[in-house]
Amino acid sequence: MAEKIKRKHYLIFIVGGLSVILFLALSKKTIEYTSTDEFCAACHVHPHAEATFMLSAHNSNRTGVSAKCVDCHLPPEEQTAYFLTRKAYHGFHDLYVFMTKDMDEIDWEAKRTVEASKRFVYEDGCKKCHTNLFPAGLDELGAESHLKYLRDPENNSCVKCHLEVGHYRGEKKLAMEETKVSPEELFDSPAVVAGFEDYAEQIPGTSVSFKMKAVDGGQFKMGSPADEPYRNSDEGPVREVEVNSFWMAEVEVTWNEYLAFFNATSSQGRKEAEAEQDEDVDGISGATPPWGAPDQGWGMGTRPAITMTHHAAQTYCRWLSSVTGKEYRLPTEAEWEYAARGGTSGAYFFDGSPKDFEKDGIWNKLFGPDTAVINTYVVYQENSPYRTQPALVVESNPFGLKNMLGNVAEFCLDYYDPQVYGKYPKGVVRNPRGPRNGMEHVVRGGSFKNTAKDLRVARRDFTRTQQWLETDPQIPKSIWWYSDCNHVGFRVICEYHPEELKSETTKK
Amino acid sequence: MEKNQLSRRNFLERSALIGAAGLAGISALNSCSKKSKSVDYAFPPLLDKAPDGVKIRAGLVGCGNRGTGAALNFLAAGNDLELVALADVFEDKVWDCHSKLEKQKVEVPKGNCFWGFDAYKKLLDVDLDLVILATPPHFRAEQFDAAIQAKKNVFMEKPATVDPVGARRIIATSKKAESMGLTVITGTQRRHQRDYLETYRQVASGAIGEITSAKAWWLQSHVWFRTREEGWSDMEYMIRNWNNFCWLCGDHILDTHVHNIDVVNWFIGKHPENAIGFGGRVRRLTGDQYDFFSIDFDYGNGVCSHSMSRQIDGCANTLGEMVMGTDGYTNCKNTIFNPDGTVKWQYGYPKNKDGKSTGIVEVSPYVQEHIDLVTAIRTNKPVVEAERTAISTLTAIMGRTAAYTGQKVTWEDMMNSTERLGPEVYEMGPVDMEFPVPLPGTQHKA
Repeated sequence: MAEKIKRKHYLIFIVGGLSVILFLALSKKTIEYTSTDEFCAACHVHPHAEATFMLSAHNSNRTGVSAKCVDCHLPPEEQTAYFLTRKAYHGFHDLYVFMTKDMDEIDWEAKRTVEASKRFVYEDGCKKCHTNLFPAGLDELGAESHLKYLRDPENNSCVKCHLEVGHYRGEKKLAMEETKVSPEELFDSPAVVAGFEDYAEQIPGTSVSFKMKAVDGGQFKMGSPADEPYRNSDEGPVREVEVNSFWMAEVEVTWNEYLAFFNATSSQGRKEAEAEQDEDVDGISGATPPWGAPDQGWGMGTRPAITMTHHAAQTYCRWLSSVTGKEYRLPTEAEWEYAARGGTSGAYFFDGSPKDFEKDGIWNKLFGPDTAVINTYVVYQENSPYRTQPALVVESNPFGLKNMLGNVAEFCLDYYDPQVYGKYPKGVVRNPRGPRNGMEHVVRGGSFKNTAKDLRVARRDFTRTQQWLETDPQIPKSIWWYSDCNHVGFRVICEYHPEELKSETTKK
Repeated sequence: MEKNQLSRRNFLERSALIGAAGLAGISALNSCSKKSKSVDYAFPPLLDKAPDGVKIRAGLVGCGNRGTGAALNFLAAGNDLELVALADVFEDKVWDCHSKLEKQKVEVPKGNCFWGFDAYKKLLDVDLDLVILATPPHFRAEQFDAAIQAKKNVFMEKPATVDPVGARRIIATSKKAESMGLTVITGTQRRHQRDYLETYRQVASGAIGEITSAKAWWLQSHVWFRTREEGWSDMEYMIRNWNNFCWLCGDHILDTHVHNIDVVNWFIGKHPENAIGFGGRVRRLTGDQYDFFSIDFDYGNGVCSHSMSRQIDGCANTLGEMVMGTDGYTNCKNTIFNPDGTVKWQYGYPKNKDGKSTGIVEVSPYVQEHIDLVTAIRTNKPVVEAERTAISTLTAIMGRTAAYTGQKVTWEDMMNSTERLGPEVYEMGPVDMEFPVPLPGTQHKA
């Protein structure tokens, strides 16, 4: 009895073993069969697949070696798991397409691109056979391209250059993308503005251009309500203010722009008994050469220009007006806040309270604030490694302006007076320009040095001339460069005079 | 987060270094990642003479003084070495070389002497095993590739090239040579000089601790030049005066100073990440090159090398390298110093009859490199030095570009640069090129 059972076990064991072997053999056969060109061709009936392959370098070449469909269109078999899953995927995908789609409606052309080929050509397949990227006969272009591929395989691929090697359709020869750098174009005239709309100003004689956004005038509540977190007393009382329409620069004046001014107007240096600036003289004499690196070594280009004095910023505006024939100036504090709010009335022009972003609450102290939103709009202490950033890295506010609240703080036209909101006449205040006289000017908007509470739209700050020239060793100290202030720049606005614009256009 | 990653990378680098030190003398360690340091223990065998073996027939391309010298160095490397062909752009140079060789009892068949811009192609058709490339470096990339395609072993002089396009071409051809099992030695003879090699071994095994900085200098009086003679076309004049034209020579920061730069790259174990520097032209009489350069090469993590090169008479002229570490410093050539300046280790040179150090290595490094070349071929242990020499040459080009432009130039800039110097076609006659001396930066307003 026991023996019988034993024998039965043996039998089961043997039969089981045989069937496993049979199954493996069959599945191997199946895998092999389903990897033949004939099997592929059974479904891939689109007319050109075979014909173009026959003409291609992978079939028609001097060596007599011909590739199979799966050599390119599946990963190498050695990567077993990946090979099988991709094989199954393509099997089902192609069968589904074959059964359900009309062959004529498929856009074959669209599949001949490098992008599309990534879905059905496997680079490891290329590299399985092409083990030497530097064969003896490789030409100069090939050598350059293969080195480029080795250095950065992520952004380069075999098919990027060798697109037609599997299916030849009489396409152009191998070509590496040429990156041509066109010489910088110098503008010979400023932008012509025909109506109240956005434009791109061009500084004549330079290749510098910057965007100006048309800001429709309107009424808004200037200042912050008494219950706004982190509010300072100089931000109130809240006043109804109306401003006229104007254009405002999309970004703070960049180094490219400021250097155009500096190169055009800079003077040799201090002369004995330097005369006071005479605003009526035709020529504008600009800044003296700075000591050290005014960009703090952070780079110039499209980063906002910094360390110029308020006086230098105003001289820049006068120069810009003279070379463009328009009326550029610093924004008034009211214009600045109107533009920064972009029609909103909260602490920021985006959602969120300063308390959400500051680290001083218990929750935020423990877990850190959720800064996803503020990060997209503002360059501030949390996301700038204590330096300015190129102008365009952030999202715009509702008026299309960038960096109003961050990157660098900005000079305004007005003198600073902490009580000025209360001193304006009752009712709606129209185009306020601050106090008539003063010592320091208004500075608005936060900078890369500030945390969330000081990025609030209503927050006010002011120049600190003495402090910002503390370490300037010259006597008298510079009127052009602050030695100790690297977080303030400025933004220009262009005045809008509808009547002038109309007469201009009618003249034409 | 960033800190963690950095310290992790440091750790990996360090462990790679320790691992490599463990394998000292056994295996060569190739660095794939350019950012990480590599310890180069691929020492040549340093025999006094190449072993006997198959006959090696060589052809010389570039029959000037260095070419002729290199050919004689090759012939001195062992037995059964022959020089069977000569090529140069000028006929007179070929025959001049031919007669110099005759005086040394070297007979090159006259039928195997070629001249003209395509002379090297004719030379490659001769039955040869090895080609010596000693033309001005401008022509190297093209000739090197042709030699490798013709399946020849190569000895080529430094610098490897004159521009970034050429440097990348050398690197690619170098990879071809590796895949074909050919040997390429590159005329950076300090890497074949026994005292340098022993000093390197000391430093790599920690004799001066972690490397913190370096300097390298090639300060010499003015070098040879040719003023134009009647009847010379533009092209002939420039090639006869090649050492003074940037498109042919690459400027002296490549031509000579590349030796020092190569040593610093070798000791630090990587190439610099970027360069800032300056230079100028105050005393030169011909051509378009500078007389002096001062470059700060930044290797990252606070490690910098100050590179100086100058060719002006009557100055503090000297040359060498120095590498500073946490536990001492070295002149790279033969001595390790403690931080207090006392000598920690010194290379043992052969002694003269009086038992005093001769101060020179047993075998001239100019011959040693050919012994190592012939040994590599005859023992079938191919060595290809072209890529590392191209990298040192490109380092020098990065410095030159920094000085010429006044800009900070990065390795990435070099790897992407499309700068190719020189005319499109090579033919004797007038050349439509301008030769402004490079001016960095922009002019300020008066």
